[in-house]
Amino acid sequence: MTIAMTKRAVLGALACSLAATAGPATAQDAGWEPSKPIQIIVGFAPGGGTDQTARLIASSAQEFFPVPLVVVNRPGASGTLAAELVAKAEPDGHTLLVAGGSESTSVPNHRETNYSLDQLKGVLRVNREHMVIVTKKGSGLDSIEAIVERAKENPGELAYGSSGPAGVLHSAFLVFANEAGIDLKHIPYQGGSPALAALLGGHVDMTIITPGDAAAQVAAGTVNAVATTSDRAEQIPDVPSLSELGYDVNVENMKGLVAPAGTPDEATEYLRSRFKQAIDSETFATLASRANITPSYLSGPEFDKAMSDMSNSIAAALEGGADESESSAQ
Amino acid sequence: MDPLFQALVDLGQPATMLTLVLSVAIGLVIGAIPGLSVNIAVALAVPLTIFMPTTQALVLLIGLYGSGIFGGSVSAILLNAPGTPASAATIFDGFPMAQQGLATKALRISLIASLYGAVFSVVLLILVAPELANFALGFGPVEIASLLLFTFFVIGILSGASLAKGLLSAAVGMVLATVGSDPMLGTPRFTFGQTALMDGLTYVPLLVGLFALAEILEEASRGFSQRIGKVSLSGEDREANRITGKDMKFIAFPMVRASAVGSAIGILPGIGATIASFLAYGDAKRSARDSSRFGKGDLRGVAASESANNAVVGATFIPTLALGIPGDAVTAILLGALVLQGVTPGPLIFVMNPGIVYTIYLTLLFSTLLMAIIGFIAVRPLAMTLRIPKIYLMPCVALVCIAGAYVARNNIVDVWVMFGAGLLGFVFNRTGVPVAPLLITFIITRPFEEALRQALTRSEGSFMPFLTNPVTLTLAALVAVFFVLALRRDLSRRKTPASSLSSEGTNHG
Repeated sequence: MTIAMTKRAVLGALACSLAATAGPATAQDAGWEPSKPIQIIVGFAPGGGTDQTARLIASSAQEFFPVPLVVVNRPGASGTLAAELVAKAEPDGHTLLVAGGSESTSVPNHRETNYSLDQLKGVLRVNREHMVIVTKKGSGLDSIEAIVERAKENPGELAYGSSGPAGVLHSAFLVFANEAGIDLKHIPYQGGSPALAALLGGHVDMTIITPGDAAAQVAAGTVNAVATTSDRAEQIPDVPSLSELGYDVNVENMKGLVAPAGTPDEATEYLRSRFKQAIDSETFATLASRANITPSYLSGPEFDKAMSDMSNSIAAALEGGADESESSAQ
Repeated sequence: MDPLFQALVDLGQPATMLTLVLSVAIGLVIGAIPGLSVNIAVALAVPLTIFMPTTQALVLLIGLYGSGIFGGSVSAILLNAPGTPASAATIFDGFPMAQQGLATKALRISLIASLYGAVFSVVLLILVAPELANFALGFGPVEIASLLLFTFFVIGILSGASLAKGLLSAAVGMVLATVGSDPMLGTPRFTFGQTALMDGLTYVPLLVGLFALAEILEEASRGFSQRIGKVSLSGEDREANRITGKDMKFIAFPMVRASAVGSAIGILPGIGATIASFLAYGDAKRSARDSSRFGKGDLRGVAASESANNAVVGATFIPTLALGIPGDAVTAILLGALVLQGVTPGPLIFVMNPGIVYTIYLTLLFSTLLMAIIGFIAVRPLAMTLRIPKIYLMPCVALVCIAGAYVARNNIVDVWVMFGAGLLGFVFNRTGVPVAPLLITFIITRPFEEALRQALTRSEGSFMPFLTNPVTLTLAALVAVFFVLALRRDLSRRKTPASSLSSEGTNHG
């Protein structure tokens, strides 16, 4: 235990040294100004979706900031390593996390983490990524009704592939299964792509992919896109949402910036207004539309509420015993 | 205009050609640096591509990927430190060759094998990508688990000089692989509350520690004594380092087999170049009529490992292009970069964007050829590294190892993992326990556990799917045969203890 504590202290110290290399934090009154480079921490490896979003934001926002914006990758443990780091970082407005996905709304509900959502404070939401439930073409599971009916006839027979235990894909299926009162089998894979491969190979009955991928696979005639887990997505306007089909499900992958909870309002407001300018810019609009990113701005407090609502619905599904092996394992 | 012709014209642009040359050269260097893997190089290049034309972006990323794997063999052969995990199996014969003054020859064999493997898989990609991709989809958890168990037997049992020490090493590797979150439930195992260990011990630092750092410690314990008489180029016979027609004939068959193994593994999801090169190495050793030189500097060992890991590169593009599902971490990054270019990858890419597909084909071929040219020019200067006195060279390598371990995830915990692995490797070398089985089981255990538990979750704990699966039954029969053969070999060796003593001296085999 002491070893764990010291190592944690080392990590903490490292975080502080990252956050506090130059002079003292500037005055906390209305005129907050960044005094050194702002770090944007990404909890996933370079090259992934979250990393790309972060780099798009940073490159289009740079012109609005007097200091450099630096994207730093701290991958590990489904993004919780970075979230822990930022939750415990110096709350001086110079350390931000790209949040809103698994590490924020999902993982802390499944297992113990060294941080909680309350320790992070929203700066703004940048975009949201819809999640689409897909089944294999020709499996007969071409609609949510068909899935629910099959699951009720053969409880525990249908299996879904997820991107890994405790991730937002896993949680979306838990919330859906809980809402529909059905029993589904969970088979986690190492990421969304292997799960899609497993679906196409017939090793699982359903999985979740992004609207862009869904559009491409549907066009190729390989999958049925049966429903989105929030509202309709613009890339696949004909696919209904679970909520309009009568299931109270609202889980999606959001992306935005958060700061340590103690960060002064002046600082988050300064950051919000400048990042907002960036996502309203021409550069960002062009890049985002090319990269299939749907900009969807929310202010800091609104982003916080959206995350905690989503987190609460996942927590409720877990308590509802949707996944017994999970809760007993805690 | 015909899309193939258009792709050629685009590639012929001076700026694109320059990008290709630069990316191949940079890929070689990054691949050769222990700890800096190809994945990192490609990932870091993605932001640069956002504002580039699509062809140039593809050329940059693919150039880095292809040449990086060959680069990994350079440091494996010269320094006993694989530059990329995929080159770990190249050490077994490459490093002994370098110690015998045959560094240049080992590098040339590696280059020829890399070239062969890469071209082999690209030809497969061009000719039969959709068919192979759809066949590979049929490989579910049951088949993958059986295949990994088979791999474990082929390379685990056959590579140890003594069965007991081999099993000890393998067991340690298996235990180390259980660190991290449970693949099905996400529950932490042996992480001691460290979030940084949730993903398990990171592979690159472990590898760098076990081989490079252990070698540095070994050298340090000898006071960096100059065994350089053996290693230096001045004493190196140019004639001995020449590749003869006889050598080519000698490695031809292992190279073909290894390229086939590498391509097959590359198509399957979640296995990867490292396992492919180990499997090909084990296969080459097992199928050789006289395998006594393996682990002591056999050309076929280097050829098998390097043609297999390079064959994986082309093969991972098969599911990537035909299905829109990335074959590995690097092709996943590449697909991400394509999305940033406004191209949606998917099964229809052949119809919607044939130009992109041709550009990828041509870039894979051109970058392989360029790699061969740059490689052949660079072989002799690279081998000069060995002229540097060890007392200066080794501390530099140690520094690079530490930096590399940190850079893998920007995490200090990984540096400690590397130091721990270095000590472990040093102790293993001193006690004659082979390091290879540890590494092999470490790599295989996690995907094996995942596949096995995915299969058992699906079947609700029943092993029936394994007993009725043709792939599984075939592989199981082969495993049984190998096991009996290995046991017989070990028993017969025990009767003649003198021969086993001499073979225990080679720690890496």
